[in-house]
Amino acid sequence: MKRLPDLLKHGWKRTGRALFGRRAEVGEVFAKFRDVLESNNRALELMTDMGEKLGGDYLFDSVYIMNAYGELRSRIAASIESFNLLTGARYDIAAAFRRVDSMIVKGVGGEPPGFSEEAGRVILLDDITVVMAREVGGKNYNLSRMRKDLGLPVPEGFAVSAHAYDEFIAHNGIDKMVDAVRAGQGGEEEIKEIRDHILSGSFPEPLEGAITSALRGLRGRRKEEGFLAVRSSAEEEDGEHSFAGQFETVLNVPIEIGAVKEAYRKVAASLFSASSVAYQRSLGYRIGSIRMAVGCVAMVDTEASGVVFTADPVSGKETLAIHAAWGLGTLVVGGGVESDLYVMEKGPGAAPELMRTGSKESMTVRSETGGIKEVETPCEMRRRACLSAVQAQELAEMALRIEGYFGGPQDIEWALGKDGVFSILQSRPLKIQARRRAAERAGMPSDHPVLMRDRGHVVQRGVVSGKVHVLKSPDEIDGLPRGAVLVAKNDSPQFVSAMPRLAAIITDTGSPASHMASICREFRIPSVVNTRTATQALRQGQEITLVADDEDRFTVYDGLVEGIGGQADDARTGIEELLEFRRKKYLMRFIAPLHLINPLTDDFTPERCGTIHDILRFMHEKAVQELICASVRASSKGTLKKLVLPVPAGIHVIDIGGGLSPEDSGSVTLQQVACEPLRAVAEGMAHPGLWQSEAVALGAKDFLTSMMRMEDITADGGSSASRNVAVISKEYLNLTVRFGYHFCLLDCYCSKRAANNHVYFRFAGGATDITKRSRRIQLIAEIMKENGFISVSKGDLITARLSGLEREDILSILDLTGRLIAFTRQLDAVLNDDRDIEKYKKEFAGIATGG
Amino acid sequence: MIIDDEKIVGDMAKISLEQDGYEVETFLNAGPALERLKDVKFDVVVTDFKMKGIDGLEVLRIVKNLYPEVKVIMITAFANLDVAIEALRGEVHDFFPKPVKIKELKESIRKALTR
Repeated sequence: MKRLPDLLKHGWKRTGRALFGRRAEVGEVFAKFRDVLESNNRALELMTDMGEKLGGDYLFDSVYIMNAYGELRSRIAASIESFNLLTGARYDIAAAFRRVDSMIVKGVGGEPPGFSEEAGRVILLDDITVVMAREVGGKNYNLSRMRKDLGLPVPEGFAVSAHAYDEFIAHNGIDKMVDAVRAGQGGEEEIKEIRDHILSGSFPEPLEGAITSALRGLRGRRKEEGFLAVRSSAEEEDGEHSFAGQFETVLNVPIEIGAVKEAYRKVAASLFSASSVAYQRSLGYRIGSIRMAVGCVAMVDTEASGVVFTADPVSGKETLAIHAAWGLGTLVVGGGVESDLYVMEKGPGAAPELMRTGSKESMTVRSETGGIKEVETPCEMRRRACLSAVQAQELAEMALRIEGYFGGPQDIEWALGKDGVFSILQSRPLKIQARRRAAERAGMPSDHPVLMRDRGHVVQRGVVSGKVHVLKSPDEIDGLPRGAVLVAKNDSPQFVSAMPRLAAIITDTGSPASHMASICREFRIPSVVNTRTATQALRQGQEITLVADDEDRFTVYDGLVEGIGGQADDARTGIEELLEFRRKKYLMRFIAPLHLINPLTDDFTPERCGTIHDILRFMHEKAVQELICASVRASSKGTLKKLVLPVPAGIHVIDIGGGLSPEDSGSVTLQQVACEPLRAVAEGMAHPGLWQSEAVALGAKDFLTSMMRMEDITADGGSSASRNVAVISKEYLNLTVRFGYHFCLLDCYCSKRAANNHVYFRFAGGATDITKRSRRIQLIAEIMKENGFISVSKGDLITARLSGLEREDILSILDLTGRLIAFTRQLDAVLNDDRDIEKYKKEFAGIATGG
Repeated sequence: MIIDDEKIVGDMAKISLEQDGYEVETFLNAGPALERLKDVKFDVVVTDFKMKGIDGLEVLRIVKNLYPEVKVIMITAFANLDVAIEALRGEVHDFFPKPVKIKELKESIRKALTR
């Protein structure tokens, strides 16, 4: 595979200045913007195609992967060049791509992807980043995420990397032996020999130095003398297979180098223990192919401990179960004691209920000199529940947060300290056996009531039943129940957070090439988009069965249809269990998932890009921002033509190409406007009965406020604020309007290609006092949300955006936005009460649905 | 019989075809596969085109010598027309560029067996 710099002849440096050393004209910016969109689209198509080919329906080999990714990365490189020209290389997206690319290239070349040399030998849990995930192993990585991202009480500690393991193996001269076993030359005798060598192995000096220094740091931060838990965190652990209990854990290890080295050897050697060898073989692993990272985490002075399952592992039901016993958790995990059991049906206001007080005859405790011992539980403690109702509730809440964060049912190990504080020791995905309702025989029912059929695009095929949840606002996403069929107006990448819980997704609009669509394929969630009618055809709470064929045919049946689908997926399950398949497919993790979901948040940065999809998303959003800025600048100095409208909106037009039909006059009518987005907005604004022509009387307080309001309330300031200007092309509109004291910006690209399309909306200010102005913003926010926008509002400012819709849908959204702009123009003055928000929302709904 | 020098191709094909009730054997290179063919007659042979040692065309020739009625399906990562024409001239039953849609391969095998 080529090196990246060869793909980027112009280099990664600030190429942008070459073109835009001066301030670029909006026309130039617009042309570059379209370049970025085009190359991004090509890359997205290639990405989608790779996802499909590696999805289990095709026979593929390494040559295919190498060629396909080779093409994809040249496309991304081209995209980055265009993007850097557009933005003056203001964002270091190239560095993000180099980082992601290096991980993928290793995977394409046969090495496990995700290895990062930057990870080093010893990494503090707090210093672990996404690129180190594989290098520190699943267990360590998940601990660091819960500690850093969720702020949960995970004890401090550090990871000893897989790279350090390689060094340890090589240092002891057993690398050749391990290679031979991996290549299939060597049997049980050789495996035992490797194990013995590891158990007596010496440490390379740099590794011993790194561990010693980490221990010193840990000791320095602790008030009292402490102990460590030294645990396995193999590359593959806590991922698709749990390896639960397969590798060694050494508890209560004194914080000193000799003891930690001893524990490390035991953990590393467990890769080659008889039971773990059998387990690895049963999953198709070659012995010697897994590398062992190790976690060293501070021990909790434990009162009680146990596990939480956030769902029923057999049925997948929404039941959370807490198992608890006195002392350390080893007996609970190993099934050696009858533990207390608390059960909670998940849902609003739910609380865990004590279903069983276990006998708990024995318990594991720490021994003062290190190590652990099993002792009899004092009689008075045996029949006492380990957790109070309040504690069980606290634990359940923490577990649900973890489940929400990882996006799926979890198996969580916890400990309650003698100080009454909980610690989370581990979380891994909980394998559920019957997550989806699988039916037994193939064939379609001919006599079942059909609710919808064939109109739309199947994004991910499959057969699934569930209860309909019609989404009214994006705020509901986090609360969607497991197994729900999400029915929504628009498709949105925001659904990603709920996807692992959803049975299916059906939307009115959307395209199979959207961000959401590729995520659906990644999660294999049966999905149909662009049905036009789903939100009308399906009722809230209705039970349905979706049969989505791979020939872009689908049927939605009323109720649960027994006995369809079934077998077809068994072969797929078999394929997905293949180690080689998972290995090859693993690199899609660095390509397809989308982490950068909301561009309106602070963490929408190149540093947060962990996948190719993230990089493309970032470039698209920032390209839009660049275009908006250029248009706002242009609106203050271009050649203006007055737009004649039935309402006195005072809009002037600057055409940057194809936005007006040629006419040599100082003013234009709507019929002469070729720009579809402007026509749609203007028609919305001119809708009968919306434009209030009389000035609304201001109260004395409002009048005072309006006198004192600062002149500049726009985002950019400048003289443009005094004019209402539309910068247009055939497919593009940037409209800045100012009515009285409020400012409104609408930016839209509306082409035949849904993936390119966006609407960006910003509204600020007003003449009235802040309470009334905020009410108006709240009203706008609610209406926007109901129409599929994501938005952020603060005080009297709202920013909202929406993207990826088909042309007709964008135009109808623009018509609605036009009506909204007209409707809310002076509305703040009459919003005297919070209840007025609902009242006027209803009034608007009546107008918005009118023709 | 499936012959492909990449394990994943044979493994995926085997799982998918066994699901439909076929008995499948997979081989990573042609030598042992052809040895096996001397003992057992297979109904269909699916072979990769480009392999180290004996390549797909050679497999086709030998299979047809042994059992003229056995159908051979050729798959290859290096899709170009010349290969296809050459392969077809050698009476290959079907020809697929990789990645091969499993459903299409199954359909081709089904036709090979019903003819």
